[in-house]
Amino acid sequence: MRTQNATAYRFLTPYLLIFVVFWIWPIISSFLISFQATRTVPWRFAPAFNWGRLIGDPAFYNALKNTLLILVIQVPVMIALAIGMAVLLNSPLLKARGLYRFAFFAPVVVGEVAYSAVFRLMFSLDFGIVNKLLNSIGLPKVDWFSNVTPAMALIMIAVTWRWAGYNAIIILAGLQSIPEDVYEAATLDRVSKVKQFFHITLPLLKPVIVFCAVLSIIGTMQLFTEPFLITERGGPGGGTETLGLLLYRQGFRSLNFGYASAVAYTMAGLAIAITLVQLWLMREPK
Amino acid sequence: MAAVTLTNVIKRFGSFEVVHGANIDIADGEFVVFVGPSGCGKSTLLRMIAGLEDISGGDIAIGGKVMNDVEAADRGIAMVFQSYALYPHMTVEQNLSFGLRMNGNPKADTDRRVKRAAEILRIDELMQRRPKQLSGGQRQRVAIGRAIVREPQVFLFDEPLSNLDAELRVQMRVEISRLHKELGVTMIYVTHDQTEAMTLADRIVVLKAGNVEQIGAPLDLYDDPANRFVAGFIGSPKMNFLSAKVVDTSNSAAIIELVNHGGARLRKPLRDAFPAIGAEIVLGVRPEHFFEVGEGDCDIPVKADVAEHLGSVSYVYANAGPEELIVEREASRQRAGGDHFTVSIKAERSLLFDKSGARIR
Repeated sequence: MRTQNATAYRFLTPYLLIFVVFWIWPIISSFLISFQATRTVPWRFAPAFNWGRLIGDPAFYNALKNTLLILVIQVPVMIALAIGMAVLLNSPLLKARGLYRFAFFAPVVVGEVAYSAVFRLMFSLDFGIVNKLLNSIGLPKVDWFSNVTPAMALIMIAVTWRWAGYNAIIILAGLQSIPEDVYEAATLDRVSKVKQFFHITLPLLKPVIVFCAVLSIIGTMQLFTEPFLITERGGPGGGTETLGLLLYRQGFRSLNFGYASAVAYTMAGLAIAITLVQLWLMREPK
Repeated sequence: MAAVTLTNVIKRFGSFEVVHGANIDIADGEFVVFVGPSGCGKSTLLRMIAGLEDISGGDIAIGGKVMNDVEAADRGIAMVFQSYALYPHMTVEQNLSFGLRMNGNPKADTDRRVKRAAEILRIDELMQRRPKQLSGGQRQRVAIGRAIVREPQVFLFDEPLSNLDAELRVQMRVEISRLHKELGVTMIYVTHDQTEAMTLADRIVVLKAGNVEQIGAPLDLYDDPANRFVAGFIGSPKMNFLSAKVVDTSNSAAIIELVNHGGARLRKPLRDAFPAIGAEIVLGVRPEHFFEVGEGDCDIPVKADVAEHLGSVSYVYANAGPEELIVEREASRQRAGGDHFTVSIKAERSLLFDKSGARIR
């Protein structure tokens, strides 16, 4: 048995080496870097330098506030939409189901730059189709890129468009795992379709919904593409700057790796904390 | 309580007809079992009575009222599913009361009904557990309990015991029988297990490929099957079928020759029909209707292949030419593979079938 294990580990060694060098070490290294002053060469150990700055940095709080705001509004809306889409996809009344499934999932495979460019065009002040539609129903134009609130809304719309279908497909798999005879039993129990949805479907989907919510929380905590590409690096004036963008700006524009590492660890810590709270709230009763 | 009447009930899936005009009258308070092999349409028939499947033709009446276009929920039936179909996220108590709660039934009445069902099924101890914390038998009791609280006119059971082990199945069979006596409600029960059908039913409906083959009391089907299919399906171990040929007909009887048993002959009195001389027919003999040599009307020598000793009886699987016979013997303990012995067939304890499987009486 021991020889067998040794042989297995010998085969695993190349992978483990790469895993340690490119995964484990960077994780440890960045944690250590977050305790170093990296503005000057040579770097020196100064625990309060980055973490102390983080606590008092208005840019950090701004990014944190924006990230959490997107998280609190966009994730629940997207999950609710995804549930609706999944129920629609699962309906026996729906024709051309395959087409809808493809259409809902397609945004995930569209290139980020291309999709961002299209969104910029669609929401452009003078030429965008969105403002033209708003005008056509008598509403005023919205300057999506120059004002903070519309810009935040735009980010949320874009992220929702991109990921709702992906979550819908996961939830659809959950829906399809609910046995049909449970619904038949409920039908014989004179339970209406609406009540069946709220008292059977939703509770039974809970594990899948939690899974999607956790994935979305982690994704939103790292949100970068949309504020970088659509609202042009967190514009207007940092109004859509997220933690991911702050990290990028500090690490790769200012080359301040210590502070960027501290931001990265804060993001990861927050994602874990929020996920744990979420799992605790949605736990199965004993 | 209510009678159930099926008149020329047809079911098609697309252009494929799976039930071909079923006519079944089920009396108020009767326990009727639909039995047949997989794909015979028995579950489809039950689901049509429940209203879970549309009917393609004919009428289904419950309590004298045609239910063809009545919603499943309004038919006054309750159904117990093969997979139990319990609500996995609810406790036993919530499972039982769910339907009543959702329909605004007064709490006191709901509690009374749930308590009564729990007492009948002896599941009082399990009320706060969830389905996954229950054994198969307990889950089945909860599923039955959920049907009881509805206080239906008709209970429908769709192979309710097929997921249980053999011992539990026997136990639950007795429970269901007791329940029927206690509630006195019409029950329709679907199974592929003829033992369940024989032990539970007031009457059995035997189905094959969407056709009703025969309807009757268990022992009537056993003693007097309408055709070879029913004869073979009802009874365990199944009836032996021996190839035969009519060699003469005279004096209200046919003389038949067992073609695979050295030309052994049997005089079989007939009442209605006389097959032509030379016609190929089949002689059916139940395992317990082989007698000791000389006791019957026709002796055939056989060679024991395998013997199964069940304690009270033994079954000897014997070869006689190309036909394998199952012989029930009380005193066959000593028989083992390779033994030669002779069995005897009595004309009055055997049945004749023509080539198409129809009974010749």
